[in-house]
Amino acid sequence: MQQGPARQEKRVQRRAARRGANIADIGGRATRFPLAMTTQLQQQLPGNGPRAKKQPPPEKASDVRRRSYIILSFWLIVLCLGLPIWWKTTTIYRADLPVQEMLDWADGKACRPVFPLRISIQANALQDQEAQNLLRLTQHALDDLNDFSGHHLRLQLAPPAAAEIHDPESVLTIRLVPGDTTTSTFDPYEPILCITYPQNAIPSPTSSSSILATYIASQLRSTFAEEQATISYLLSTNSIPSDHRSQGLSSDVAESLSKRTTRSLKYAPTYHLTFSLLTSGPLPSSWDIEGAIAEYMKPVLDVLSPIHNFTIDTQVQLYATPGVQNQVLNKEDLSSFINAAEWPLSPSIGGAPTINFIVFVGNQTIASPQTPEEGDATTATSHSWLIPQWGTVYLLPLAHDTTHVSSSALKLPLLTFTSHLLSFTGAPHSGSLPLRLSTLARIRSADLLLRASSTLGSLARLALALPSISIPGSVADGVSKTMRHLRLACETLGGPEGLAHARVAEAEAERAFFEKSMVGQLYFPDEHKIAVYMPLLGPVAVPLVMGLLNELKAWRKRRREAAEAGAEKKKE
Amino acid sequence: MDGAKVTLGRMAGLYAGAAVLRLAVFTLIPGLPDLLTGRVEISTPVTSFKRLQEGLFLYNHNVSPYDGGVYHQAPLFLPLFSLLPSFASLPIFTYLLYIAVDLVSARALWRIADSGEAVSSALFTSPRREKRWSGLVIAAVFLFNPFTIATCIGRSTSVFTTCAILHAIAKAVSGAPLGAMVALSFASYLSMYPLFLLPPLVLLCYDRQRPERATNSPLKFAAVCASAVAGVVAVLFQLSYLVTGSWEFLPSTYGVQLTLSDLTPNVGLWWYFFIEMFDSFRSFFLAVFWLHLSSYVGGLTVRIRRQPLVVLTLLLGIFAIFKPYPSISDMSLFLAVVPLYRHVFPLMRYTFVSAAVVLYASCLGPAFYYLWIYAGSGNANFFYAITLVWGLGLSLLVCDLMFAVLRDEWEVERPEMAGKEIRQI
Repeated sequence: MQQGPARQEKRVQRRAARRGANIADIGGRATRFPLAMTTQLQQQLPGNGPRAKKQPPPEKASDVRRRSYIILSFWLIVLCLGLPIWWKTTTIYRADLPVQEMLDWADGKACRPVFPLRISIQANALQDQEAQNLLRLTQHALDDLNDFSGHHLRLQLAPPAAAEIHDPESVLTIRLVPGDTTTSTFDPYEPILCITYPQNAIPSPTSSSSILATYIASQLRSTFAEEQATISYLLSTNSIPSDHRSQGLSSDVAESLSKRTTRSLKYAPTYHLTFSLLTSGPLPSSWDIEGAIAEYMKPVLDVLSPIHNFTIDTQVQLYATPGVQNQVLNKEDLSSFINAAEWPLSPSIGGAPTINFIVFVGNQTIASPQTPEEGDATTATSHSWLIPQWGTVYLLPLAHDTTHVSSSALKLPLLTFTSHLLSFTGAPHSGSLPLRLSTLARIRSADLLLRASSTLGSLARLALALPSISIPGSVADGVSKTMRHLRLACETLGGPEGLAHARVAEAEAERAFFEKSMVGQLYFPDEHKIAVYMPLLGPVAVPLVMGLLNELKAWRKRRREAAEAGAEKKKE
Repeated sequence: MDGAKVTLGRMAGLYAGAAVLRLAVFTLIPGLPDLLTGRVEISTPVTSFKRLQEGLFLYNHNVSPYDGGVYHQAPLFLPLFSLLPSFASLPIFTYLLYIAVDLVSARALWRIADSGEAVSSALFTSPRREKRWSGLVIAAVFLFNPFTIATCIGRSTSVFTTCAILHAIAKAVSGAPLGAMVALSFASYLSMYPLFLLPPLVLLCYDRQRPERATNSPLKFAAVCASAVAGVVAVLFQLSYLVTGSWEFLPSTYGVQLTLSDLTPNVGLWWYFFIEMFDSFRSFFLAVFWLHLSSYVGGLTVRIRRQPLVVLTLLLGIFAIFKPYPSISDMSLFLAVVPLYRHVFPLMRYTFVSAAVVLYASCLGPAFYYLWIYAGSGNANFFYAITLVWGLGLSLLVCDLMFAVLRDEWEVERPEMAGKEIRQI
């Protein structure tokens, strides 16, 4: 009943409009727009009789104009405020990243990691001429032995004035001392290699080879073999082109290196050391750990301090039940000895990786000494074993009535801990301690350099792969800072500032890659945007768009009618 | 003369009654004020009395009141409440202040009602103008409205905004444009959203100018009004700067309303939406919500140009639904001005439905909030659903009132249609 008359009316209107009758248009008023509301009489139709149609009176021109103004007022807000705000708040900001350069770093094209190691020779007993000759010969022998271009040993003669002290510029000082036989010893405190030689071993100026030169070269080679192998292993596991790599990395060396890498912790500027005294009974209840650390561990921590910072906490836990109750612990038991559920060993405090050192006071013992092959995996003495990337457990047998563990009783545990700490940090096994530490610094800087480069590469690939991801300015900042420090690190590789730059570069690269606002938008495809916009803006847009369309339609009709009326007038 | 005396007597009686009722509630049920202050329906983050006390404490201890991110209200409240004796020892003065503000609001409403602007404006006179309520009834409806009483007992600072808005309208209808603008500036300073009322209020002032100093140029008049508002607001800002010693109050008061950084639930529609919103779209939808709120101003002002007071009334209703931190005090303000349109009530079609919906929501709202927050047997959707119902009831009322007013206007054009059923085409 409702639909019929309305449709008919429309038809009549259309006819009337076609005839050019002087009826104001009402066709464009079917808008739902609440403000542009006009009303019309609802027809009261007699049952069967001819339908009497009642037309609403023509709309006043002022009403039409007012409706246009209303629609205009809404659209002005949408167009003048809504669109700019939409543009401003939803455009994805993509800072410019030097993508190609970043990929170059990741592919190893930007930096060729070269470690020029300077080794000075102190030969105060030799004539200058003789020393020069020996140096030349040794360098030749070294170059013949060396097959890895990234790791380059360069000899130089120390000025005679600088005798007895180690030149900080060079990695190692070789002190040649006349003696009876050819022997070599490492100085325990300074990176100095003392070589004695018999007087007749000095090569003559004309000879093209010398036993002493070959001996020095092979000594040097064996000293740096581990470092060389480690660095070339690092390079080979990263995406460095093969010509930089050493060819002669045998598979078993690589295997042992990979084992060592798994054992050591990921590089962090700070490590947290937790010393725990766990006792199976009520005693002992106190320990002189502070004094013991100061006495036995502090020296090593101090020499490690250019590479790492350490924070330390200690704890005592009485009545600690180990995960295995056996009197004699077998190799299989060692892995389940730690009672992770009950012992208060928090995984990580304050973001720094934690190394746990546990002194367990009880009467348990370890069954049999490990066979050498197994000793590689978990270095175990009869009292302690190392758990890779986690820490060390030391079983300390004490008399039952000991209430206080003195500093001297802690000497052995702490020395064990100290040596394990070095392997946790990834220091090489052989060589004197100062040499090991300087090697550690070089290995770490190479590692950090490679890690930062590969992070840059991942970031570049991510930026290329997801064109809709936003890249905030802080990321671009981080990238440029990373690259600057990488370049500096690459230039000063091998020195202490190289490590510092590599540290900064790695931290910046990680920060840039894990930028919070970027990660949030990682998986936000365009389809989702429809789901975000439609529920609210769809219903709002329907009356707005329909109102505008109707208004435009009505306006065109009015113009046509006006034109027709004008034409008719002219005809008359 | 006699009539005036009777009116005066009635006025005194009404005010005394309202004041005694409020004082009795304050003193006889001592737990109630604090209970109501804690209700989310009454205290929003930008009007809460508790937060005001926090700000006051910091202010009196020479700490910036905006430190701590709890206080989001205008800085000039602080010296005002510092002048009162401490609330902790002598709460009666605070109670009296709030009661006085309510009475002053009622007085302004009375003046608006007496002016007859609602039934016959400068450009339009309703054919039903005889059928209206007196100022006494309208003031009584306002003063004894449970929403108004609850807001007063809950000591929400929105009563000051209500008072300022009503005074702006009262000044406008009595032909004092400057006073109206000053009052509106105060309201805008306190709550920001009343600034949207400026266009219809300027029109109202323009229509009700006193003949002896009327301007004929509407543009000039509007410019003068706008600059008056800007000037007064600037002075208030400067005063606030002197009081707090920094411009920190701008982001902490207006910034919070603009960015909705405090997502405490309230009876409005924003909080739930922005809890769920993706972070990357948050700023866009904040802009959309604000634009939505402002888009009604232009359209309504143009459409009902002949009755600016209607526009003000409808806008107050719309703000009570769509503003960022609405509370029942906005509802009470809207319900205060609706009775001015007693003459179009017979034209309204859904009075029963909207009244029932509002009552339903006001009964179930606290219950669902309790279920969600305290009993833990419901979730946020319970309360949000009831705020949707509340918004629905309010918008029904607003639409219905708009329909009735438009129909009233239309019947002047088409007198033969009076009383007949109509249909929108």
